[in-house]
Amino acid sequence: MTRYVMVADLRRCVGCQACTAACKEANGTPIGVQWRRVLDIEVGEFPDVKRVYVPTGCQHCEDPPCMHVCPTTATKQRPDGIVTIDYDLCIGCAYCAVACPYEARYRVDHPRFAFGEEPSVSEQARFDEKKIGVATKCTFCVDRIDGGCAKGLTPGVDPDATPVCVNTCISGALAFGDIDDPDSNVSKLLAENKWFRMHEEVGTAPGFYYLWDKEAPL
Amino acid sequence: MTALEARDTAARKLVPTLCYNCVAGPDFMQVIVEDGVATGIEPNHSAAGVHPGAGRPCVRAYGLVQKTYNPHRISQPMKRTNPKKGRDEDPGFVPISWDEALDTIAARLKDIMSRGLIDEAGLPRVAASFGHGGTPRSYMGSFPAFMSAFGPIDFSFGSGQGVKCTHSEHLYGEYWHRAFTVSSDTVLTNLVVSFGSNYEVTGGVCAVRRHADARIRGVKRIQIEPHLSATAACSAEWVPIKPKTDAAFMLAMIHVLLHETPRTSLDIPYLRDRTSSPYLVGPNGYYLRDPQSGKPLVWDEKAGRAVPHDTPGIVPALEGHFTVSEAISHLADKEVARHENAPAHTAFTAMVEHLRRYSPDWASAICGVKPDKIRHVANEYVSNACIGQTIEIEGRTLPLRPVAVTLGKTVNNGWGAFECCWSRTVLATLVGALEVPGGTLGTTVRLNKGHDNRLVSVVPGEDGFMVSSLNPTSETDWKAKPTGRNAHRTLVPIVGNSAWSQALGPAHLPWLFMDKSPDEWPKQRAPEFWLTFRTNPAVAFWDTAKLTRAIAQMPFIVAIAYTFDETNHMADILLPDASDLESTQLVPIGGTKFVEQFWEHTGVALRQKAVEPQGDARDFTWITTELAKRTGLIEKYNAAINRGAIGSPLKGKNYDFSLPTDQAHDPETIWDAVCKASTAALTDGKEVKDLAWMKEHGYFVVPFKRTDWYLYPSLADQNLRFELPYQERLMRVGEELGRRLHAQGIHWWDEQLSEYQPLPEWHDVPGRWVKAVVAAGKKPEDFPFWGITTKTMFYSAGNNSGVPLMHEVGQNVRGHGGIILNAGVAGKLGIVAGDWIEVRSIVAATRGRAVPVQGCHPETIVIPGQHEHWKTPFAKDLNFPSLNTVTQMSMELTDATGSGADVVRVCVRKVEGPGKGARP
Repeated sequence: MTRYVMVADLRRCVGCQACTAACKEANGTPIGVQWRRVLDIEVGEFPDVKRVYVPTGCQHCEDPPCMHVCPTTATKQRPDGIVTIDYDLCIGCAYCAVACPYEARYRVDHPRFAFGEEPSVSEQARFDEKKIGVATKCTFCVDRIDGGCAKGLTPGVDPDATPVCVNTCISGALAFGDIDDPDSNVSKLLAENKWFRMHEEVGTAPGFYYLWDKEAPL
Repeated sequence: MTALEARDTAARKLVPTLCYNCVAGPDFMQVIVEDGVATGIEPNHSAAGVHPGAGRPCVRAYGLVQKTYNPHRISQPMKRTNPKKGRDEDPGFVPISWDEALDTIAARLKDIMSRGLIDEAGLPRVAASFGHGGTPRSYMGSFPAFMSAFGPIDFSFGSGQGVKCTHSEHLYGEYWHRAFTVSSDTVLTNLVVSFGSNYEVTGGVCAVRRHADARIRGVKRIQIEPHLSATAACSAEWVPIKPKTDAAFMLAMIHVLLHETPRTSLDIPYLRDRTSSPYLVGPNGYYLRDPQSGKPLVWDEKAGRAVPHDTPGIVPALEGHFTVSEAISHLADKEVARHENAPAHTAFTAMVEHLRRYSPDWASAICGVKPDKIRHVANEYVSNACIGQTIEIEGRTLPLRPVAVTLGKTVNNGWGAFECCWSRTVLATLVGALEVPGGTLGTTVRLNKGHDNRLVSVVPGEDGFMVSSLNPTSETDWKAKPTGRNAHRTLVPIVGNSAWSQALGPAHLPWLFMDKSPDEWPKQRAPEFWLTFRTNPAVAFWDTAKLTRAIAQMPFIVAIAYTFDETNHMADILLPDASDLESTQLVPIGGTKFVEQFWEHTGVALRQKAVEPQGDARDFTWITTELAKRTGLIEKYNAAINRGAIGSPLKGKNYDFSLPTDQAHDPETIWDAVCKASTAALTDGKEVKDLAWMKEHGYFVVPFKRTDWYLYPSLADQNLRFELPYQERLMRVGEELGRRLHAQGIHWWDEQLSEYQPLPEWHDVPGRWVKAVVAAGKKPEDFPFWGITTKTMFYSAGNNSGVPLMHEVGQNVRGHGGIILNAGVAGKLGIVAGDWIEVRSIVAATRGRAVPVQGCHPETIVIPGQHEHWKTPFAKDLNFPSLNTVTQMSMELTDATGSGADVVRVCVRKVEGPGKGARP
């Protein structure tokens, strides 16, 4: 089997938001919608303070609460673990957005563009009216994965089969691949480093892993 | 069919190009073009093995699509119809044709040419200002050739340089180790002690990638700075320190190395053979020299006597007191002092005795860091230095000293920066870590020749050191009359007189002197013609209200304009240039370059037209050629291109792609010739790549030797020494400069003359800013905080502040568009997150939303970025604050290099809303 996961190395991430910007551009998301974003978190009290950057977004959970609450079956899970939304079925009820413990889902009812109500020619080229009034979220750039695989490429290795955020990451913090393949880059990273998953206690079994120093208090 | 489906079936291509929007570039990227429209940016993954940043650009590159299609762009030439200039004056810009715009400009220039390019005061009638750290050059096409053809132009009106760069490092770094900027050898180092170096924000993708890899390797970085920046966030330790007290911390580190650790922990051979440490200093503070040769003397331990430093077979004493039977010393103005049986000590001993007073306990009272912490950092530094270890690189065995000290911007300019630069460089020499693998390295040169490989500049000079090209201070050769409005040749010997020197003089003096110049100074008029490109000093400089008034005094301004902004609001002509994705230019890449670009290749890359220009914007090379035609300079202009003004010379040993000089050439013809010549030059004529090839492949490189990252081998091969720790030459130069200025009746530069010291003395650096408050007739207690700034990766120097995408993603990072202060202090002031607060100095006030955090020194207020726009579309509606609004621009806060720092004493209060901005 194949199970695609994302790995974020918190020792590497510098919070630059290049992934956020590239995701927005590639997916044509409206103002305020960030399928990939990086949190800026401070811990401690002066002068013993730490600050850490945490990339986040849809965790493509093994047991996704968003899918369970979806009244129309618009949210589905592929055999490779990617959680999808069928915009033709979604009625925009936003139950999923409430159910998601990761605040990863968005709904935009009225399109807004960078410079106002009218899209620029570049925004027009990327605008997809199907995304208005429905739930949206990170897709792991599923089109790139499927398109790349169709050409015999390997997601997480070949850029043309890899999510845009991973391709963009300047510090090398983001990695993507098949966790069921013991030789994949993500399997090796997880085998060689300490890791955790966000809100593991709620039982969602996220497909998003964070590498971190074992001594750190996070 | 939906738009998405349409996209998937549309013609789509990837255009390789580059981003050079900040000094940390250039970085590769590709433009996604669909049906002729740029729709996105991607990394150039094919360059992953060539570009140190793996072929990836930073976040700002992703804003270039919005920048291209910004509806607020100026789309055709415009002229001003309201002759009155000022912030409150409507310029009345109206569209005009390119012909009218260019003819108007050419007529102005021809009139100046007919009357002479130099005015009655000896200053150029034409001035030009370009933005961020020389990067506009990679967007101005062939314009350097026009400037070369035209003649003297005043580049001294600062638009950020001197106050927003690492200015003292530029000057002293290049003087001491050919380091216009300084970097750790991150790929080999074990420990970086960083005083505010903000790698993770301003180091660009190459620095970010190298430091991330280093962290995984286990490298420790200790970040010492008032505010917990992104770099501190990614460091092993954050040590909060009071602003402008870094020199005290570093002097105390040296004290620990010299007085609290055994000598065996230092690199004695390095100090003895590669520095001036053994040179003997006489009772007058100058080197004792051999009476015959004039060479500095050292004490030969084998013979037990003083001998010239380069005598073969000697073992120079590193420290000690001696008596020298006969010697001379070279004083100012070629005066010679003769000595008999003179007491002497080595330069190293002078330093040891000088540093005795600067203990960690002494420093702690100044910088607010506990003595034990200072000792801890110093001891970590020594214990990681690996004295005696070596590494083999490309077959050559070199010292390996994996420790580095780096300095951030505000540490590195203005008062105190000389002391910090000296301390940092001396710390490196003490453990033999200057310019060796793992240590503290320079990146490139700008004041010396050899931009492509700084090792070219390592040539023997006086006294066993590298040659240095200081501006003369002798009675006969000193430039009493400034040749530019910042008087770089008159006031700043160490800045030299290269193509970059003028822009690195005291960049705020021209603005200050627009109001009133000192009595003893030549009366200077505003330039008759001022051209601006990719710069917005009305926002990016200090005391912005005063600066805006100064700009309004410029009689004729031509602005190469992207949108309306605060500076081109005063312009007479606006010219829209084809921007980043719309124009063509060949750009040098590779080698070693700031901020942390260390390549194993060198070559050229093409910034190419991926999409057609919006509106009637024109390629800068086309604009330039038209100006050359209309001013009658076409032959000189073409000749300058042929000479190599915009790339390699078009004629070389094995090739000749020279352009006919008697006709105008279109941009494609010009860049085709430059592509061919540049690639031929890289390969001794063996390979020639034309413009079409470069458009397809994006870049062309050849190998660059890894050993050329380090200066040490070149010095060792020529038996040269670093001019450290003792600054005998600068002491002499300062004495001479003082004599020259005083002879002219000039005493307003006396405080700056105090910086010319053989060994730096602490002089209450932060107290200078407090004194500035008193000098303004105010009470220091009314301004109890330090106002400082920090950059963000989204804006860096701020030229993309009108791009909404940067604002949107910037909001994910704390402090974006706000005012950061310590949460405990905020609580005491009754301020909570999101409150509007006002930061006021003796100059002005600025307002923004409060961002209380734990990671901020309680005495410090931090205003990120450079904002408070009032004209730039989109940015002006953000109501962001700016430290520039409240920062003082003054002579008293200018150091000897002519720089100042982003520091100001401020008070804070809660207010109702954004107010009216920086009105005087």
